[in-house]
Amino acid sequence: MKKVIMGNHAVSWGVRLSRAEVIAAYPITPQTQVVEELSEMCASGALNARFIKVEGEHSAMAACVGAASAGARTFTATSAQGLALMHEMLHWAGNARLPIVMADINRAMAPGWTVWTDQNDSLSQRDTGWLQFYCESNQEVLDTTVQAFKIAEIVDLPVMIVLDAFYLSHTYEPVDIPEQAEVDAFLPKRVARYKLDVNDPHSFGALAPPPVYMEMRLRQQEAMEQALKVVDEVDEEWGRRFGRRYGAVESYRTEGAELVLVVSSTITSTARYVVDQLREKGEKVGLVKARLFRPFPTEAMRRALAGVPHVAVLDRNISPGHCGIFAEEIRAALYDLADGRRPKIHGYIIGLGGRDVKPENIIDCIDRTRETAKSGKPMPREAGWVGVQP
Amino acid sequence: MSQVVIKDKIPREELMASGHVACPGCGGTLAMRLVLKGLGPKTIVTLPACCWTIISGPFPQSALSVPLLHTAFETTAATASGVRAALDMQGDKDTTVLAWAGDGGTFDIGLQALSGAAERNEDILYVCYDNEAYMNTGIQRSSATPWGAWTTTTPVGTPKSHPKKDLIAILAAHRVPYAATATVAHPVDLVEKVQKAKATRGTKFIHVLAPCPPGWKTSDEETIELARMAVRSRVFPLYEVENGQRWRLTGDHPGDPVEPYIRKQGRFRHLTPDQIRVIQADVDQRWELLMRRVEYGA
Amino acid sequence: MPEDRDIAHGVPPIAVSSTSTLANRTGSWKYIRPIYQDMVAPCNAACPVGIDIEGYMNLLREGKVAEARDLLLRENPMPAVTGRVCDHPCQTHCNRAFFDDAVAIHAVERMLGDLEPEVRVPIPPRTRKEKVAVVGSGPAGLACAYPLARLGYAVTVFESDPEPGGALRYGIPEYRLPRNVLVREIERIRAQGVVIQCGVQVGKGTPWKQLQSYDAMFIATGARVSRPLALAGGEVADVRPGLDFLREVEGGERRTIGRRVVVVGGTDTAVDCARTALRLGAEPVVVCQGTRADLTANAEAVEEAIREGVRFEFKVWPVGVQTARHTEQEPPLEAIRTMYAEREERERLTGVECVRMTPGEADASGARRALPVQGTNFVIPADLMLTALGEEPDLAFLPPEVTRKDYTVIADEFGRNHPGVFAGGDITGQPRTVAHSLGSGKRAAIGIDRYLRERAGEKIADGDPAALRFGGTGNFSITRWRDDDPIRRQSPVNEVVPFEKLNMAHFASVPGKTDRHRSFEERRSSFAEANLGLTTNEALAEARRCFNCGVCNMCELCLIFCPDVAIKRHPSGHAFSLSYKYCKGCGVCVEECPRGAMTMTREGL
Repeated sequence: MKKVIMGNHAVSWGVRLSRAEVIAAYPITPQTQVVEELSEMCASGALNARFIKVEGEHSAMAACVGAASAGARTFTATSAQGLALMHEMLHWAGNARLPIVMADINRAMAPGWTVWTDQNDSLSQRDTGWLQFYCESNQEVLDTTVQAFKIAEIVDLPVMIVLDAFYLSHTYEPVDIPEQAEVDAFLPKRVARYKLDVNDPHSFGALAPPPVYMEMRLRQQEAMEQALKVVDEVDEEWGRRFGRRYGAVESYRTEGAELVLVVSSTITSTARYVVDQLREKGEKVGLVKARLFRPFPTEAMRRALAGVPHVAVLDRNISPGHCGIFAEEIRAALYDLADGRRPKIHGYIIGLGGRDVKPENIIDCIDRTRETAKSGKPMPREAGWVGVQP
Repeated sequence: MSQVVIKDKIPREELMASGHVACPGCGGTLAMRLVLKGLGPKTIVTLPACCWTIISGPFPQSALSVPLLHTAFETTAATASGVRAALDMQGDKDTTVLAWAGDGGTFDIGLQALSGAAERNEDILYVCYDNEAYMNTGIQRSSATPWGAWTTTTPVGTPKSHPKKDLIAILAAHRVPYAATATVAHPVDLVEKVQKAKATRGTKFIHVLAPCPPGWKTSDEETIELARMAVRSRVFPLYEVENGQRWRLTGDHPGDPVEPYIRKQGRFRHLTPDQIRVIQADVDQRWELLMRRVEYGA
Repeated sequence: MPEDRDIAHGVPPIAVSSTSTLANRTGSWKYIRPIYQDMVAPCNAACPVGIDIEGYMNLLREGKVAEARDLLLRENPMPAVTGRVCDHPCQTHCNRAFFDDAVAIHAVERMLGDLEPEVRVPIPPRTRKEKVAVVGSGPAGLACAYPLARLGYAVTVFESDPEPGGALRYGIPEYRLPRNVLVREIERIRAQGVVIQCGVQVGKGTPWKQLQSYDAMFIATGARVSRPLALAGGEVADVRPGLDFLREVEGGERRTIGRRVVVVGGTDTAVDCARTALRLGAEPVVVCQGTRADLTANAEAVEEAIREGVRFEFKVWPVGVQTARHTEQEPPLEAIRTMYAEREERERLTGVECVRMTPGEADASGARRALPVQGTNFVIPADLMLTALGEEPDLAFLPPEVTRKDYTVIADEFGRNHPGVFAGGDITGQPRTVAHSLGSGKRAAIGIDRYLRERAGEKIADGDPAALRFGGTGNFSITRWRDDDPIRRQSPVNEVVPFEKLNMAHFASVPGKTDRHRSFEERRSSFAEANLGLTTNEALAEARRCFNCGVCNMCELCLIFCPDVAIKRHPSGHAFSLSYKYCKGCGVCVEECPRGAMTMTREGL
């Protein structure tokens, strides 16, 4: 069924089709429509779930931890301040290996207060043991949400679906909503491997002294490695069933490129437009969309970028005191490429706090990259921040 | 017999094992043991950071024969709400979700989650075992620490200068179906209250006084006697509140002077006679307030 | 749960439990440990008879009335008597008195003593070939004969009076000890196969030599020679020893006596004389040298006497008598004949001249002798004066083997003064009470059993005799001698449990019941029993007030309050298993034990 829906509602639909059982959420702009729509779905009986209207985001994740520990399929959604408030519990969900799915509406962190998009909130959580998917379209949001439950329950890791505030959350796009039966065939009921069960009582999360803690972290890391494969398998299955594939990393018109943009989220759409424009003019420019951020798809990223002379990473985020986070991670991923195969990485900070990223801004990045490439000198920091007042 | 024989009123099944690592004479352990006896094996416990995190034993041990979910400090009631939702979705109407937290995790850091759950009337039983300080981290003051007490963060020069928070009044203001106080020295009263709570739908709260020998600076064997004295002197009266409106006493409170109770505890050793008089006056005043509530309700 | 299979790098994926904390032997933490150690209740230790009072109270609490009675009868052959006439030091020492009221142990004993046995018990078999002679059928003699018969000996009691009982019959009036009760108690002793021969005066009519065929002999002939009162005025017929008066009343004399009766002395006999005289229509006055506190008589009997109308004159002493030849004054009330003489010309008592006394200086021993106050003489009108200044034993008829000193016999429980010759009761230097006499008889029985067994070549362990005494200081116990305690006592230690060791928090205050009494009007004119005691149910209720000091009764408080679940019910159902593997030695169990049946110790660690 094709409907024109906003990004937030695409999340709601994904959750409904996945037959989530327990939802615990607290409202925050611009996430509110996710939970409002889910409330309606629960009230009408379209979705058979308990919706706990918690009194704060930390409690939202705590309730999800409780529900998931008892074997339920759980979901929550939040943004920025709410996600930051949940931080302790994100670690908890990750270390407890609970397959919780969460939608984060990428919103910049206060102060000053802001409701517009950037990626600092989700990227601040990169070390908590969650998978992270950065989505470009409402269709991708819905598809990824359903995939997330499947992946999560195979590897027993929580999954975060990230979408831009307003640019995606509140933008209406046509979305092909799969039939419930089709999704049921793809995603069966959750069968928890470990759960709170009065017929088989155990304790969960007790004191883990040094002799055992590290091994549990190793197992978590191994699950993350397994997740790389599972993401691909699930993506492939989705492609078979629903005709759409996304991949952990998507290369767009990178054949023979001299310069490749690495982009994520809605900037990707704008970058596609720019690439098409430049290719029309004969310029050898392509883009790589970074969809899966955790686990970091090192191999896929290497395959996509090895041998490309220059890579311009557009980060809608900043790790203060260092650089853009995607840039930093990509540099690390490509470090071990053989000499000659390793691209020069150029990082750009762009669109923080929801500042619009227009095609000319992207072209600006390309120009600066070419300049730097020609001059051979490192790019000054001011050049790396796109569109700021001097 | 004129001995008040209680053995036939305490359920026999043990749901807590020996070998747990609580201090000798720990009131909090006896509290758990008795509450679980009242609830039976169809119970799931959520447990934040507190003494019981350690008492329950390190991985791979558990001191309980019921499922136990360790959770973050401030989240007991929220986690319990999640567990409850999952059980409801599974159609399980028999299993009790027991949110079990100390005074720190209830009065202070956990108060928000508790308030949220209570306002939503989540179908959980929340038991706060109150040893009147952050004992697990080494005896720091909480808002449950009584006025005048020594703790490591209220040393003798500056003892606790604020009165103990009236938590039942807070719960009553939420109009929860059932809230009550209890102590480890009154096992039949505690078990009966637990069973009454189990038979009630909605948020139930029991505040259990659990003396702590290292934290109160008392001798190991005095734990029960201290709780008894606390009730007899009206420092910790036994009562229950239904729907925030009907208040009822459930024990004998002869009104013994507080001084012997105070003098039995090293954490009060520095108090002067004037300060003890202040405590007595406060106890008397709170008792008057409780009497008014019992008589007039709300 | 897949945790058994889902192990990698030695761990499951999450911190999920797979064992219990039972793996931790937290018992290694302790430096002191609790033990179940039953102790002796203070009533047991205080009882001069040596009765396991706590034991039978425990049985009554369990509803085992027959067993309770049996346990009582092991140690005390005459509970219906002692329940009535003993001044119950058990109650004085009862720990319950520190809480509310002492348990009315005497009433429980009396109730058990008055119960009809459901089954006629057969005569115990003669398992020993030895024969024992007992001289005197007072409480000491009977209390010696009874256990010896039950131990298998042939026992014969020789009694000089026409009826057995000694002081029980001839010294204690009927309204305190009904004769049918006494007869039943004595019948119980006969039912053990004891032969009582009355009217036999050994040492006077019957020579001691005749008792040589007996393998052992117990002499308990009591003290019946009243101490004389030196008075100016010589011998007057109307001045009689009080004991003789009681004996005559016992013999059936119920003639009216003079209205005005003066009794001199502060003893039980004095009070008994006064109350007896009252019932015969007199207005008795008891004259005592000291104050009420100085009376040696049973305090309750004194109280009853006063309330019945007996007048006491304290700090007064007679110095002479007044007589008259003629009957000038007619007693105002009914026609009177004096008991002791027909109305004829003779010296008749008309009054007793007394002087007020005051306590004098304390002498070397600290005793204060009362001294007359000059010029305070006055006369108490009297028709009859009875003296009750205490009694002495008549030792003149005793054989030379019996050691004596200062008018008393030196008794040795083990017959070491002269092999085979034992003595007890009032002729020895012990307190002159029924209970002490009963206790003395029992001690001698144990001594005789030991002597005869050793003589027969049996090996008797040379234990500390204190082990036979309740609490080390109480009286001997037949049960301990035979080592067949029917009460399950856990690692008992022979020490009395003090009140401080009990925990009152677990008891509800229940006031004690007091005996019912006949009305004073009824009492004044009747020899029917004055003290009606308690009903059976009331007595059982009193038994339930017993704390059961020092002996575990499986109340399970230790188990309930243990924070470490280290105490479990033993499979037998009669004890607890305390797991020292887990017990941390916190001491809560010992502190909470209501009856002090647990102790902390550093031994065994």
